[in-house]
Amino acid sequence: MRSRTIPMREVYVWELPVRVYHWVNMLCVIALCITGFVIGNPPAFMNGTEAYFNYWFGTVRFVHFVAAFLFFFNFIFRTYWGFAGNEFARWTNFIPLKRCQWKEILDVIKVDILQLTHKKIDSIGHNALASLIYFLTFLIFLLQCLTGFGMYSAMSHSSFPKLFAWIVPMMGGDISVRFLHHMLMWGFIIFAIVHVYLVFYHDYIERRGVTSSMIGGWKFIEEDVIERHDAKTEECPKN
Amino acid sequence: MENKHLSFYEEVRRDGSSRRDFLKFCTTMAAFLGLESSGVGQIVKALETKPRLPVIWFHFQECTCCSESFIRASHPIVANIVLDKISLDYQETLMAASGFQAEEAYKTVMAKNPGEYIVMVEGSIPTENEAYCCIGGRSALQILEEAVKNCKAVVAWGNCASSGCVQAASPNPTGAKPVHKVISGKPVINVQGCPPIADVMAGVVVHLLTFGRIPQLDELNRPKAFYSRRVHDTCYRRANFDAGLFVESFDDEGAKKGYCLYKMGCKGPVTYNSCGIIKWNDGISYPIQSGHPCIGCSEAGFWDNGPFYQHLPSVKGFGIETTADNIGVGLGIATAVGVAGHAIVTNVRKKKELSNAPEAVSAVEKPKV
Amino acid sequence: MAERIVIDPITRIEGHLRVEIEVNNGVITDAFSAGTMVRGIETILKGRDPRDAWAFVGRVCGVCTSTHSLTSVRTVENALGIAVPPNAELIRNLMANALYIQDHVVHFYVLHALDWVDVVSALKANPAEASRIAQSISSWPKSSVGYFTDVQKRFKNFVESGQLGIFANGYWGHKAYKLPPEVNLIAVAHYLEALEWQKEIVKVHTIFGGKNPHPNYLVGGVPCSINIEEANAVNAERLAMVGKLFEDAKAFVNQVYIPDLLAIASFYKSDWGAIGGGLTNYLSFGDFPMNGYNNPESFKMPRGAILNRDLSKVHEVKAEDPNQIQEYINNSWYNYSKGDKVGLHPWEGETHLNYTGPKPPYEHLDFSQKYSWVKTPRWKGYPMEVGPLSRMLVGYASGRPDYKEVIESTLKTLGVPVAALFSTLGRTAARGLETKLVCDWALESFDQLLANIKNGDSRTMNNAKWEPASWPQSAKGIGMVEAPRGALSHFIVIEDKKIANYQLVVPTTWNASPRDLNGKRSAFEESLIGTPVADPKVPLEVLRTIHSFDPCLACAVH
Ligand code: HEM
Ligand code: HEM
Ligand code: NFV
Ligand code: SF4
Ligand code: SF4
Ligand code: F3S
Ligand SMILES: [Mg+2]
Repeated sequence: MRSRTIPMREVYVWELPVRVYHWVNMLCVIALCITGFVIGNPPAFMNGTEAYFNYWFGTVRFVHFVAAFLFFFNFIFRTYWGFAGNEFARWTNFIPLKRCQWKEILDVIKVDILQLTHKKIDSIGHNALASLIYFLTFLIFLLQCLTGFGMYSAMSHSSFPKLFAWIVPMMGGDISVRFLHHMLMWGFIIFAIVHVYLVFYHDYIERRGVTSSMIGGWKFIEEDVIERHDAKTEECPKN
Repeated sequence: MENKHLSFYEEVRRDGSSRRDFLKFCTTMAAFLGLESSGVGQIVKALETKPRLPVIWFHFQECTCCSESFIRASHPIVANIVLDKISLDYQETLMAASGFQAEEAYKTVMAKNPGEYIVMVEGSIPTENEAYCCIGGRSALQILEEAVKNCKAVVAWGNCASSGCVQAASPNPTGAKPVHKVISGKPVINVQGCPPIADVMAGVVVHLLTFGRIPQLDELNRPKAFYSRRVHDTCYRRANFDAGLFVESFDDEGAKKGYCLYKMGCKGPVTYNSCGIIKWNDGISYPIQSGHPCIGCSEAGFWDNGPFYQHLPSVKGFGIETTADNIGVGLGIATAVGVAGHAIVTNVRKKKELSNAPEAVSAVEKPKV
Repeated sequence: MAERIVIDPITRIEGHLRVEIEVNNGVITDAFSAGTMVRGIETILKGRDPRDAWAFVGRVCGVCTSTHSLTSVRTVENALGIAVPPNAELIRNLMANALYIQDHVVHFYVLHALDWVDVVSALKANPAEASRIAQSISSWPKSSVGYFTDVQKRFKNFVESGQLGIFANGYWGHKAYKLPPEVNLIAVAHYLEALEWQKEIVKVHTIFGGKNPHPNYLVGGVPCSINIEEANAVNAERLAMVGKLFEDAKAFVNQVYIPDLLAIASFYKSDWGAIGGGLTNYLSFGDFPMNGYNNPESFKMPRGAILNRDLSKVHEVKAEDPNQIQEYINNSWYNYSKGDKVGLHPWEGETHLNYTGPKPPYEHLDFSQKYSWVKTPRWKGYPMEVGPLSRMLVGYASGRPDYKEVIESTLKTLGVPVAALFSTLGRTAARGLETKLVCDWALESFDQLLANIKNGDSRTMNNAKWEPASWPQSAKGIGMVEAPRGALSHFIVIEDKKIANYQLVVPTTWNASPRDLNGKRSAFEESLIGTPVADPKVPLEVLRTIHSFDPCLACAVH
C-alpha cells in the first residue's frame, strides 16, 4: 500500500567501457579463483595412468595464466578509464580525500550496515563506502598481479613477466609470495559474496535499479537528488 | 679477481734480500725437510712460481655438514683442491695444528696477504650474546670482523652463513645472523643449501680460480650458474606435475611409479637450486628422486615455512596444519552467515521503510549527465 | 710446578671445544673441557609438527649426519605407537651402517691419524720399503713402489711450495711420533685414498635418502619406494649399487683400515695401551634391529651398561626410567626452573640459556663457576663413557660371538691383555674393529632386504598414523640409537599435535660434559688425568686422547 509517489528519472551512470570492464573482470576472477584453487589443491583426478597421456594440470595452469593476462590488462584499462571516463567512473570517487566523503562513509555504515537510522543515502554512482571498498579491491587486484607475475617471471622467458622479477627477492622468497597470492584468493571470494549481496540489498531497499545498471548502464534516481547534484551547491556533489 | 699475491721469491726480494739469500734459505729448508741436495732445485722452482690462493675457512654456529659436503666433491676431488688449487691455511676440521698454533695460521695469512686472501664461512654468527660462539676465547663476531677487514672476498657456505639456517629459525634463541648481515664493504657469495651440493661448492672455488673473478650473482648474492632455476623447472617428475599425477600418500601406487610429490608438500616450485641437474654425490640422486619432497633447503627461512609435508606454510598463531584454505573457508562461512544475518535484520528493521516506500515514478525524459 | 695450558680450538673434531689442563712435572693433574658454541635447537623445536623434527635435529650435526634424524623418527614413532615395515627398518640399518663406515674411516685417517703419523717424516721414506711393508700387511692392490713414489713426490711438491695449508704449524718432529718414515708414508697415501673413497659409501644415503649430508627420513618408514619394475623407484639397478658400495666398503675396511690400524697400534701399544683409560663405566643403547625395533634381542649391537670395568655383568638400561638418565647443569650455562642443583629426566628437561662466563675476548675460563655449554648427563648417578669402546665392551661382556672373535683375535695379534682396551689406543682400536663388524652386518641386512622383496614385500611406509587427526591428545616418546660416537637418545612430549618438549642427550654430551654435583669428571676430563706431556707448548698427547673419542661438540651442545 504505497501512500506517496516520488518522481524519479533514469540516469546513465555506467558507460559501456565500465560495464565491459566489470563483466570481463568478473569472468576472469571466477576463472582465476577456480583454477587457482585447483593449482593449490589439485584433486586426485586421473591417477593410475601415465604422464604421457595427460596434461590436465598443465591446462589448468594455462587457463590461469591466460585469465591472468586478461585480468591484468583489463585492470590497466579500467585505471585509464578512471581518468578518461565520466564523473561516476573518475578516480576521485574512489579515494576519499574530502571530508564529506568520510562523512558519507559514516552515514553508510549507520544506515546500511548497522541500520541505526533509516534515511536514504543520496548518491548517483557508488556511495562513498562502496567506492572506498572498490579502491581497496583495486589495490588487491594490483597486489595479486604483482605476486602472480612475480611467480610467473621465474617460469617465463618472455620479457613482460621478467619486469616483475624483482618482486620475489623483495618479498623474501617464492614461498611467501605464493602464500600471499593464495591468501588473497580468499579476499576475492569474500569480496564477491559481500559485493553481490550488497548489490541486491541496495536494489531491494533503494529501488534504484543498481543490478541492471551494470548491464544497461542506467539507474533510477530521485529528481531531488539529481537537482541537488546539478546545482553543485553542496560540498560533495552527489555522484 | 687477479692474483696479485707475491710469490715467496718476490716477497724475499722486496724485503731487500738478494737471490743468494733466497737460495741459501732454500738449501736450509731442504735440509730441514731431509731432502737430498737435488731437491733444492725443486724448492727454488716452487717458491718462484705462482702461489696458491690463500683461504681461511671459519666455523661458527654450524653443524660441519658444509665441510662434509665439500669433502664429497667429485670434480675436482677435495684432495686436489686442497693440495693443488688453493692454500687452505685455516680449516678447523682438517688442519693439523690446534690451539695457538692454529690461530697463528690464520693470523699469518692475514698479515702476509692483505687484500689477497678469501674468507670462507660456515655457520651463522650469534648476536644476542657474542659468547654464544667463541673460539680461542674470542667471539665469532670479533674473529670475523677482523678477518674480513683485509680480505678479497667472502664465501658464505650453506644456509647458515647465507641466511642463518636452523638456529635462526623462530624464535632464534641466539640471535643467529648470516654473514652478509654482520659485515659490510666486501663482496659476499652466498652458496645456498643445507648443505650446498658438493660439486656446487667445488664449482664455486674452481670459478674463482679459473676465471679469476667472482661468479655472476642474483639479487640474493647466489651464483646464478647454480641458483637461477627452480628445482621444479628441472625436476624429472615435472611431466607428472603437468599431467596432474600426484603421490597422494607415501609409498602409494603413485609413489611407486614416481608421480609428482607436490601434494606431499614438495617445495620444488618455490626453491632455487641445482638438485635436478647436478644432483647429489656425483649425480646419484636428489631428494625427490628418492621419494621425499623437496623441503626447500636452499631458501632463506625455509625452516619457518613448514610443516614440510604441507603445500603452503601453516598460518602462524593458529594450530599446526591450519592452512590458508582452512582460514579462507572459515572466513567465507562467516561472511555468508554475516550476509544472511544482515539480510534478516534488514527485513526486520527496515520493515517500515520497505512497506512505506514511495512509489517511483520514472520520468521518461532524456537524462542529464 | 703447575702449569695451566689452554688448547682452543681443538681442531680435527666437529665443533668448538676448549680444553684447559694443569701440568705438574710433565704429567696432567687436572683437566677441564668446555663446549663454547650453542644454538638452542631444543628451544626451536617447541611448537612444531613432530613429523618435521627429523629435519631440524638432523642439522644438529653434519658429521654424524642422519643419526639424529633416525633417532627422531624413532622417538616420534615410539610416542605415537607406529611400527615401521620391515623393509624400512632394514633400509634404516643400511643407512646407519653406511654412516658408521664413512664416519669411522674419516675419523681414523683425516681427524685422528695426524696424532700418530708424522707427515713430514714420510718425505724421508724409501718408497720401495714402504711398498714392501704395505704388501706384507695387506693384499690391497695399490701398494706398488711406483704408487708410493708418486704419493711421496706429490707431497714433496706440496711441502716445497712453502704453502703448507692444512699441514701448517703441525707438531711435526715431536718425539712422541714413533712410526718409521715408511709407515708414515703408507698412512699419508691412505689418508688421501680414504678422503677420496669416503665419498663413495655415502651414496647409500643418496640412493635411499636423496642426498648426503643430511639425507631425508620419514616418520612411519622411509621416503623411497621399492618397485623393481620401475625406473622411478628403488629397483634392481639401485639395489645393485648399494650391494657394490658395501662390498667395496668391506674391502677397504679389511684391506686398508684394519691393517693400518694394527700396524700403527703395534708401534704405540706399549705406552698408549695404558694411557687415557679414564672412566670405568660404559654405556650402550644397542642398535641395528633385525626383527623390529621393539625387540632389542634382535639387535646386532646389544644394549647394556658396564660398571667399574666389571665385564662379568651387563646392567639393564631403561631410558624411560626417571632415575636412570638425568641431566645436570650445575656447571653449564643454563638455568633450571627448580634451581641448578637438580638433575632432570629429559622428559622434564629444560633449555634456558644463561651465560655467566667471562666476556670475550678472554684468556681463561673460571672453573670454580659454570664453564661449558655442554650439560652433564648421568646414568643412575654415574658418569658413563659412550662410544665404540663402550659398545665393544658391552658386546664382549654380553658374550656375543662376533664381538668375542674380533676382540680376542686382535688382542692376540697385538699381544696385549684385555686391560689394554681401557685406554686411548683401545678406544681407537675399538672403532676400527666395530667398523669391520658393521660391514658384515650391512651385507646381512642387505640380503634380508633382497629376500623380502623377492618374497613380494615391497612396503616401506606405514601410513596408519600419518594424519595428526589419528594422534592422541598427548603422548611421550623416546628414541635410542647407537650413533657413531655413542649412545644417543631423544625425548619428546607431544601436546595438542605439537611438540611441547624435545630434548636430546647426545654421545658427546656424555663424554665432553663438565663435572657433576659431586665434582666427578666426565670422560674427556677424566681420561686426561695422568697423561704425560713432553712439551706443554706442543700438547700432542692431549690431542691423542681427546681425538680417540672423536668429539662432536655441535652434537654435544646442540
Ligand atoms: C583473481 C586473481 C587471482 C587469483 C584468485 C589467483 C589465485 C591463485 C591461487 C589460489 C594459486 C595457487 C597458489 C598455491 O597454493 O600454490 C595461484 C597460483 C598462481 N597464480 Fe594466480 N591468482 C590470481 C591472479 C593471478 C595473476 C594476475 C597472475 C599473473 C601471472 C597469477 C599467476 C599465478 C601463478 C604463476 C601461480 C603459480 C602457478 C604454479 O606454479 O603452478 N595469478 N593463483
Ligand atoms: C567476482 C565477481 C565480481 C567482482 C570482482 C566485481 C567487481 C566490481 C567492481 C570492481 C565494481 C566497481 C566498478 C567500477 O566502478 O569500475 C563493481 C561494481 C558493481 N558490480 Fe560487481 N563484481 C562482481 C560481480 C558482480 C555481480 C555478479 C553483479 C550483479 C549481480 C555485480 C554488480 C555490480 C554493480 C551493480 C556494480 C555497481 C555498484 C554500485 O553502483 O555501487 N557485480 N563490481
Ligand atoms: N656426539 C655425537 Fe654425533 C655422533 N656420532 C651424535 O649423535 O657427532 Ni656429530
Ligand atoms: S647450512 Fe645446513 S648443512 Fe651447512 S652447516 Fe648449516 S645446518 Fe649444516
Ligand atoms: S616433485 Fe616437486 S619439483 Fe618435481 S615436479 Fe613435482 S612439485 Fe615440481
Ligand atoms: S630440499 Fe634441498 S637438496 Fe635440493 S631438492 Fe630441495 S633444495
Ligand atoms: Mg640436550
